Amino acid sequence: MKHRGRGIASMWYPVGFTGYSNPSGAVVKLNEDGSAVVLTGTVETGQGSLGALSQIAAEALGIAPNDIHIVSGDTDTCPMDTGAIASRTTYITGNAVRLAAEMARDTLFQVASGMLGVKPDQLEAKDHKIQVKSFPSRSAPIADVCNRAYNGVGTPPIGSATWDPPMVPMDAEGQGKPFGTYVYATQIAEVDVDDETGEVEVLRITASHDCGTAINPMLVEGQIDGGVYMGLGFGLYEEILFDKTGKQVNCNLTNYILPTSLDMPEIDEDIVENYDYTGPFGAKAVGEPSLVPTAVAVTNAIYDAVGVRITALPATSEKVLKAIKAKRAAEQKQIPA
Amino acid sequence: MAEDLLERAPDVLEKPRAAPVETLRRADEGLRLPAVAPPTTLPLEPPLVPQVGEQTRAVGLRAQRPDSRYHGLGLTRYIDDIALPGMLYAKIKRAGISSARIKRIDVSKAEAMPGVQAVLLGREIPLNLFGTSIVDQPLLVDEIVRHAGDGVAAVAAVTEQIAQAAIDAIEVEYEPLPGVYDPLEALQPDSPKVHGGDTNIYFKKLIRRGDVEKGFAQSYRVYENRYTTPGIEHAPMEPFTSIADWDANGRLTVYASIGRITLARVDLSKTLRIPISRVRVIGTIVGGNFGGKNEIRHEPVLALLSKKAGRPVKGRFTRVEEFIASTIRHPMIMDYKTGVTKEGKILARQIRMVLDGGAYCSFSETTLGKASILAPGPYAIENIHVEGCVVYTNKTTSGSMRGFGAPQVCFAYESQMDEIARDLGIDPIELRMKNFFREGSMSATGQVLHSVKVIESLQNAARKFGWEVRS
Repeated sequence: MKHRGRGIASMWYPVGFTGYSNPSGAVVKLNEDGSAVVLTGTVETGQGSLGALSQIAAEALGIAPNDIHIVSGDTDTCPMDTGAIASRTTYITGNAVRLAAEMARDTLFQVASGMLGVKPDQLEAKDHKIQVKSFPSRSAPIADVCNRAYNGVGTPPIGSATWDPPMVPMDAEGQGKPFGTYVYATQIAEVDVDDETGEVEVLRITASHDCGTAINPMLVEGQIDGGVYMGLGFGLYEEILFDKTGKQVNCNLTNYILPTSLDMPEIDEDIVENYDYTGPFGAKAVGEPSLVPTAVAVTNAIYDAVGVRITALPATSEKVLKAIKAKRAAEQKQIPA
Repeated sequence: MAEDLLERAPDVLEKPRAAPVETLRRADEGLRLPAVAPPTTLPLEPPLVPQVGEQTRAVGLRAQRPDSRYHGLGLTRYIDDIALPGMLYAKIKRAGISSARIKRIDVSKAEAMPGVQAVLLGREIPLNLFGTSIVDQPLLVDEIVRHAGDGVAAVAAVTEQIAQAAIDAIEVEYEPLPGVYDPLEALQPDSPKVHGGDTNIYFKKLIRRGDVEKGFAQSYRVYENRYTTPGIEHAPMEPFTSIADWDANGRLTVYASIGRITLARVDLSKTLRIPISRVRVIGTIVGGNFGGKNEIRHEPVLALLSKKAGRPVKGRFTRVEEFIASTIRHPMIMDYKTGVTKEGKILARQIRMVLDGGAYCSFSETTLGKASILAPGPYAIENIHVEGCVVYTNKTTSGSMRGFGAPQVCFAYESQMDEIARDLGIDPIELRMKNFFREGSMSATGQVLHSVKVIESLQNAARKFGWEVRS
């Protein structure tokens, strides 16, 4: 018989390295026509980080993400980057890109100040224009300003910057400020557990994640979906088995069991509204955290469904069935009052 | 079973068995053609030019990814789509034994094979060690094998098949050594020591705040549970693949599917003992990382094979190598002791954890660090004591993997929160709400937290899920 259950898990997760410097550099170059090139030493690892970095640069320059070309992943042409690790790209590389873009933008403001007859700090970059704050009818197309910077004033707009989260290394008692910021999340799972086979079917997962500002909500949702997938594998199926001499037994995809699309539950993603003043335009992270609470939300739901607590992952059907049988045997041994 | 199939497809028997010759010919031609995508005319839409006055809100936009068209059309160029003229293929011989001393290694048969262009042993590598904190991992083992996936020799040949045949022809004689395969056994004083010395522990972490004993003494109930999690594999679709290529000036270019090119360049420079300015690393689009591709793996070996052969060399892990010769998630054993009031307020939490680090250090220091810092959970607790250690065993190296210890400790702290809620008869949401961090709460390391949204995440999730409190 199938039993339905629900389980909650909340978590917190830090952004960046644990108490060590992990800087990123970035270079932003505006072209003569107001489009831009961003150089970054990180690499696209499938998560869409280059898209997010384009959006950050575009926001700072008042142009569109499509106006930006990103050059990445080449140690000869790109500035250093600690890399696509520790959920740090949007937060740390993003801050470097924002600062570099603002530096290039400052050159534009200098040039435009002469064109518009105001001080540079009265200007803002918006809608492909450099315009006077609170008086947008006085403006110049960003292409004209760039062209003038290149060919008139002789100051092509180039910005470069680095950023490293502010930290205090931990002491012997573990006291310190190891990270710039943290993210938070809660996932709730609904499962069906078959008490005759031990099989667990995850029906749906509601995943609510704080990532600061979502630079691109679509990418955040994609990360959550991928994280839930990984968390399911961690919770229910995946385990590297070693024999008595330390050799892996199931070292291939035929016998190391990963979830497939058929195992995926319905996922309801939610992005908590937030703005972190330390992040680029308020952004933090979502890459790793999305997987963290899934497995235990599922095992807590298994307990809710059939009353067995899985304390050693993964909660395979065999393990769940064994626990159900053990629980029944224990119940049978009790003398009725 | 067979009858079943026939019932469902009765016309199978009636159809003529022999296909017309023309059909066979076309099928045969189809098989001979290389697999190519249908022709695509690029670009797919007129080039975009900046439009003055166009609304440019960029942050928060559901913008199309710059790489989405490539992925959608199957046009993304991954590392394995790259072939350089005259490129050779490398294979690495794996030890296949977890703890041993190499007594003799004979590569003469491999060297004599037609098509083999270079053979490499560990002693030929200028600095045959790498690592992100403790530098303890040989690229190719010279003497002591510490886990079954250790490489002992490498070959570059004109095809992958010849390279594999040459690897199989290398003879290695091992003297088996006692090994240790369980992290708790590795803690025993009389256990074999994976890296010599008098202990297998290579990092310890302590975080202490308040007085847990006092907290437990004041508690209404104290819960003690052990939680364990296994080693798991990143299982990216794309296994480790790199290409090494030297130019006439002695400058090395490495194409690699790696997430940290700046670090890779430093490690190549160190292991090959050449200046950083003579190394270029080009990071290709990574076909799945999940933390597994954060450090060099076989790149210096490929570089030296390439140098010997005078031709570019590609190395590509098999799926089995991806399991046994890369890194895995740290298996963890976690003991949680938590004292609470009758109303469910946590007064003290003591955590002891042991991480199975496998044969080499890799990212163990940071994994232990993150696991220890995060172990108490997103809860404001006055009295906390966390102590953890990571130990060597003669197993696959544990390294960085999406979450760095966080999924393991979250499994522990949230299992126990559920346990406590059940036992005290408090709704699990209410129990968490009572204990959650607030804006300005202090973490176990003494950090004042900002941007805290754990309460909102639970409220949102409960509302969207339709959580109803049961009486």
